[in-house]
Amino acid sequence: MSAPLLSLRAVEKRYASVTALSGIELELEAGQGLAILGPNGAGKSTLLRIMAGLAHPTGGRVRFAEGKPQRSRVGYLGHATLLYPELTARENLVFAGRLYGVENSSARADQLLAEEGLTGVAERRARGFSRGMAQRLSIARARVHAPELLLLDEPFTGLDEPSAQRLSHRLEGLAHEGHALVLATHEIDRAARLAQSALVLVEGKVKRRVNAEEMSEPALRAAYAEALEAPA
Amino acid sequence: MNVALAILWKDLVSEWRSRDRVVAMLVFSILVAVVFYFALPMLRPEELSALAPGLLWTAYLFSALLGLNRSFALELENDALSGLALAPGNRGWIFLGKAAANWVLISIVQILTAGVFAVFYGIDLVPALPGLATVVGLGTVGICAAGTLLAPMAVRTGFREVLLPVLLLPALFPILAGAVEGSGAAVAGQPIPFPALQLLLVTDGIYLIVAFLGFDYVLDE
Repeated sequence: MSAPLLSLRAVEKRYASVTALSGIELELEAGQGLAILGPNGAGKSTLLRIMAGLAHPTGGRVRFAEGKPQRSRVGYLGHATLLYPELTARENLVFAGRLYGVENSSARADQLLAEEGLTGVAERRARGFSRGMAQRLSIARARVHAPELLLLDEPFTGLDEPSAQRLSHRLEGLAHEGHALVLATHEIDRAARLAQSALVLVEGKVKRRVNAEEMSEPALRAAYAEALEAPA
Repeated sequence: MNVALAILWKDLVSEWRSRDRVVAMLVFSILVAVVFYFALPMLRPEELSALAPGLLWTAYLFSALLGLNRSFALELENDALSGLALAPGNRGWIFLGKAAANWVLISIVQILTAGVFAVFYGIDLVPALPGLATVVGLGTVGICAAGTLLAPMAVRTGFREVLLPVLLLPALFPILAGAVEGSGAAVAGQPIPFPALQLLLVTDGIYLIVAFLGFDYVLDE
């Protein structure tokens, strides 16, 4: 059996006297989807930032399967879009491509703009984009170097329902194309559609693991509620 | 190297379109020149010439602080700083790109500020230009190296406007000493003293190496 794409062992993150995460264990296979659920302040964003290589764990270890270094294998979409408002949509993608050393980043930018339905606004500055358009451009940015793993931190926040649905369909498409996804969200219905397994974080600890058999929306809601009610 | 060039291009294009950093720095520098003009009204021309390098560098230093702070405050919009930190490879190239962009923008402001000083104080800077350009260029390398290293730390705290000057100014004392001495010689039509050039070169070298190697830790959470 091949090694998992990503494994975390006893990962801990402390900020001074505050423990943001402790004892996190998880494995993710290539092409799989994992949802991370939990209330505000549970440590979901911190966990994603550790997986992305933006933050270092204060304990434990994060290991990727043999291959390229961590940061070049991960595409990250956070609460914010990571975009430069004074650059056009196309320039934002070309710039991101150059950061990742993508060969012919102009052609890659055009390809991603077409895939996200943004070709018509390619020369418009990102400052004027609606939240939905900026989020689509941000997904294109996260994919500019063709990463094996997409880390999505509350990607539906701030979107109206049509934009959120469109994004959800887009992410389902990416999952079908074979991208591994880690999705931190409060939205259980979307988590059930996009992921094959889930874990519930409460106060920085994994309170419940949900396997593929329980990934229907009602079962996931029940598991989430059970985890929140369980004693610390 | 490509990463550094990409960041240099991105910063210059963004600034060309918004012009907020250069304009803010330039207005501030001119205001400093005006403040000195009214604060020191009774000086004779030879006294002014002696004071000019110090006054000029005071304006340069404080306007550079403004620009350096703004340079990374812009990276916090949309959390773009995380986007830079995610780039694979040595983060020293990110430092180099940001520092180069800061150097270009601060240098533009310095050239215009020198013109304003020359008009206000009636100093003929044209004969001093080669020496002055060398000293100012070298001094600005040190300011940008140390400032680009410290600014991302400062802007991520709740005291961003205060913290950068508190951290950066002590690190710039050697730069200021060499730059004022060298600029004074240039304005007086004398050759730049070697100890002043040596101080600037050594300090620049140390700050560039430390910042290139240390930037990885600065961007980590």
